[in-house]
Order: sequence, then C-alpha cells, then structure tokens
Amino acid sequence: MTVENRPEHVEDLIDLLAGQHMLIRDLFAEVQRASGDARDEAFARLVRLLAVHETAEEEVVHPLARRSIDGGEGVVEDRLHEEHQAKEALARLESMDRDSEDFAAAFAKLRAAVLAHAQYEEQYEFRYLRAQHGPDRLRTLAKQVRIAEKAAPTHPHPGVETAPENLAAGPVLAVFDRVKDAMRGALSRNG
Amino acid sequence: MSFNPLDHRGIPLDKQLRNWRELDVEPIDPDHADPYTRCRIIAMNGIEVEALLFSHQFARNCPSMDVKRQLAEVRYIEHQQQKAVNWLLPGSASALETTIAYEQVAVDLTAWVARMEPDPYLKQAYQFGVLEDFDHLYRYSNLYEMVQHRKAEKIVDGLTEVIPGRPTKYHHRHPHDNVREPYDREAAAPISKLHALTIMAAEQQTMNFYMNVGPQYMEPIARQLYQEIGLIEEEHVTHYESLVDPGETWWERLVNHEYNECYLYYSFMQTESDPRIKAIWELHLDMELEHLRLACDLMRQHDGREPEEVLAPELPQPVTFEPNKAYVRELLDTQIDLTTLGAGYVREAHERFERMQEEIHGGEAPPSERVVDEHRERFGTDYRLSTEGEHPVPELREPRSDRQ
Repeated sequence: MTVENRPEHVEDLIDLLAGQHMLIRDLFAEVQRASGDARDEAFARLVRLLAVHETAEEEVVHPLARRSIDGGEGVVEDRLHEEHQAKEALARLESMDRDSEDFAAAFAKLRAAVLAHAQYEEQYEFRYLRAQHGPDRLRTLAKQVRIAEKAAPTHPHPGVETAPENLAAGPVLAVFDRVKDAMRGALSRNG
Repeated sequence: MSFNPLDHRGIPLDKQLRNWRELDVEPIDPDHADPYTRCRIIAMNGIEVEALLFSHQFARNCPSMDVKRQLAEVRYIEHQQQKAVNWLLPGSASALETTIAYEQVAVDLTAWVARMEPDPYLKQAYQFGVLEDFDHLYRYSNLYEMVQHRKAEKIVDGLTEVIPGRPTKYHHRHPHDNVREPYDREAAAPISKLHALTIMAAEQQTMNFYMNVGPQYMEPIARQLYQEIGLIEEEHVTHYESLVDPGETWWERLVNHEYNECYLYYSFMQTESDPRIKAIWELHLDMELEHLRLACDLMRQHDGREPEEVLAPELPQPVTFEPNKAYVRELLDTQIDLTTLGAGYVREAHERFERMQEEIHGGEAPPSERVVDEHRERFGTDYRLSTEGEHPVPELREPRSDRQ
C-alpha cells in the first residue's frame, strides 16, 4: 500500500466533516481551473457535496453544538445564516453562463464565504465538540452520518440516468431539499 | 545587470508612512497561488521581524537620544512593511498549513544558500541544517493528514519532496554543540554575511511562530510535535546566529541588516511570478534604499568608516526559490548521519550527544516518531511525496511489506 492507493480513513464525526471541508475546498479550486463541460461537471459535484455536507451539519452537528457548547445558540445561528446565504448564492450561480466573467466573480465570492464558514465551524464548533464528547459517541455519529449520506441521491452520471441518480438532477434548491429529505429519513431510522 | 543599492535614492522617509487603507492588503489565494510566492512572503516576513528585533536591541543599547529617535522612526515604517507582507497570508489557511510552508521555505532557501555559499565552513553549516528542516517537513506533513485530512502535496505542489531526512529525534544535541565558529568580518565575502543574516532571520521567525501557534492545537500529538520541533528551532537559531562575527560594531550590523533587506526585496522583485506581489517588493525596495542610506550616514558619523569598506560593490545574484531535489538527495546520501561536536561535525554518536539523547527522550519515542507511528496505524502507511524515485538511504525507504 502507498499514499496513492490506500483506502479512505475516517475515525469520527469530526474527522469525517473536516475531511469533507478539504474536499469542498479542493472542488472549489477544481471548478475555477476547469472550463466548459468539465466545469459543469465539477460544479454539479460541488452542489451535491455541499448539500450532503450541510445537511449532516444541520441535522447532527448544530443540534449537538447548541446543547453542549457555551454560547452554542449564537454560534449556530451565525453558521445557519452563512449556510442560507451560501445556498442562495449557489442557486443564483446555477442560471449563469459558467464560462462567463460574472460567474467567475460570483463563484470566487461564494468560495471565500464557504471557506471562511468552514474555518468558523472548525474553530467554534468542532474543537469543542471533540473536547466534550467521548470518542465512542463521535464514532457512532460518524457511522450514522455515513449511512444517511448513502441514502442521499447521488449526482447523475451520463448514460445512467435511472431513478435514484436522477434525483440529484435539477435546480440547486431542489437538490438540497431532496438530499435533506433522504438523509433525515435515514437518520431518524438509525438515530 | 548589476544593481548597487548605494547608488540609488529611495522614497524619502517622511513619505513612507501608510494609512489603514494602504495597509489593508489583499491576501494571496490559498489554493491557486504559486507556492514559491507564499515562500517569498514567509521569508520576507522573517527578514522584517529580524529588522524589528535587531532595532529594538540596538535602541536598548544606545545612549544617544537622536539615534534612538531615528531608529524608532525607521522601525515604525519597517513594522508597517512587516504588516503589509505577513498579512498577504490568507486567513483560510490553517496554522499547520502555514507551518508546512515555513518548512518548505527552510528547505529550499537553505539549500539555495548552501549551493551559493563560497566559504566551506559556512556551506557545511547550511548543508547540515537543511537535512533537519527537510525531516520536519515530513513530520508535519504526517500530522497534517492526520488532523486536517489533506495531503501536504496540495501545499508544496510537487516542488519540494516530502520524505524522511535526518530523523528529528537525533536533532536534540547538547547546547554546547550548537555553537559554531563565526566568520571573520574582515576576511568574509560580503555574500557570506548576507547568507548568515538571511538564514538566521528565517529560522528565528520559525522559532517564534512555533512557540506561539503550538498550544493553539487541541490534539495531543500536535501540541507535542510543536514543542519538540520548536526546541530544535532554538538549536537552529543558536547554530546560525553564532556564524555572525560578534566583533561587528552596532553601526556595521545596522548597515548589514538594511543592505540585506535591499538584497532580498531586489531578489524577490526579480523572481516574483505574481505581478501584484512584485509591486509590493518593488515599493518596499524603494523604502529600504532610504533606510540603507540613513544607516550608512550613521556608520560614517559614529564609526568614522565608509560603508563601502564592508559592503559588496553590487548586489549578488538574486536569492531564488526553485526546486533543490537533486541537491537535497545528494546531501541525504552523504550527510544523513552527521552530528556536531563542539564547533565541528562528526559521524559517531559521542558521549555528550548520547547523554543528551537519553535525558531528553527519557526512554520513550519522541513526538516526531509517534506522529509517524500513529499515522501508519490509522492510514496503513506514513505520508510521503516522493517524485524522484526511491529514498537514497535504504533504511529510510518505505517498509517493503507495506508496499504493493
């Protein structure tokens, strides 16, 4: 086994979500570097990953943070506000020509906002959650989130437009809604 | 193309103060910027921090009120330069990410200086040190993947390899063995003085950075690794600062500092890939030319000597950030097992070294070993970025059983 071919490793909820922050960061950079169809495709993957990730945070992390962090209510309100803004910005981007300068400028703004949002979560939520919850609890939560993510619709692959994959097609806000419904269902069954 | 900073007039000192709007620099992009642009920012910040600390020490040792006032005025401007330079780093990069960039600076800057240094004793000091920074890069990169789930290749971008160097556990030497012989200020080439100042400043900033960001981490292995490598930075600062001749007068030292700042801003202006950052290097060079002129006047006045007696007639070849992979591999192959004894170098573990090792490790594996062990445990391998084939030292290759 080498660095390139070893399996993905996830320990607990914080590892899982911090790892996704890095994937999101890399996907933002990938969209910026790509053009044409490759940019469309990377953008679709980004929308899907953001939907899955933000749902996991809204359903699992934020409720936990509200309860267990001193000042958690306020911290979570700030994060939810940022998530809401990001979702709206993403929806606006969708209707724009992806190779236009307007798209590039608006996308760069969204990227800066989302990267800052991720930093705030790591600094003001994650570090306290790890200090306050035992490793077993955080590992169990990671498992639940992963099961829920598997229940969420995946992005459409060209040529395999069958029912579950197609669920992720369509407008950004609809993707977020469908992902959230599917993950909520899975979380309540396993929670 | 030659450039003699003594022949150029910069921006008059009373025109150098910047307002808040001018200081509010736009940071570089954390994922799209040239890694060597980030390296130049980190190196230049180290140079400015040394300028500030040196000027404060000078002021504390200076009885003349007039000189103290002039030092304070120039120092305030240099502090604004430090703010404009270091604030180019983006807030979205974590402290550990910046740490990895610091180690990339240490590797590629020290290797370049080692290649260019004419004096064999000084060259050996840089060659010795670079193999240690190279190993720190590898240890921190393993920590980075563990706590941040990202690979260091996203930061170093394949320009610098991430493989084991001289193992960090062997860097803990008796403090007496970290003190080198100084160059002779009368005989040393001007370039040698600039090299020593540059690397001393870079290592000093690294020491300051680690001593402050280390405790901000919560993960025990991260806290411990910053402590361990932070103490090695103390050794490195001792190692490099002792190369500078302590017989230089305060005035001469001030001139050398200002000249070195001109040299580095000029170098980075020549080699910068980002036009926006290049404009900052150029502006700061124009400021430094005036600081140098003022320092030269002080030297003439108080030392009764011409600065030209101690300075080069023109700036040396620009300090360049570029890959040094083959050079570092050659050093790995030939100098991996060196340690220091007194002011020199030996290959065998001598008694004082072994005693220090026993006392500091207390019979346990130090954090620099445990970070790699824990990484192997969790991910199945250590983290490496090897672009030039297998490791030149057989014992430091990836264990066979782990490879497919």
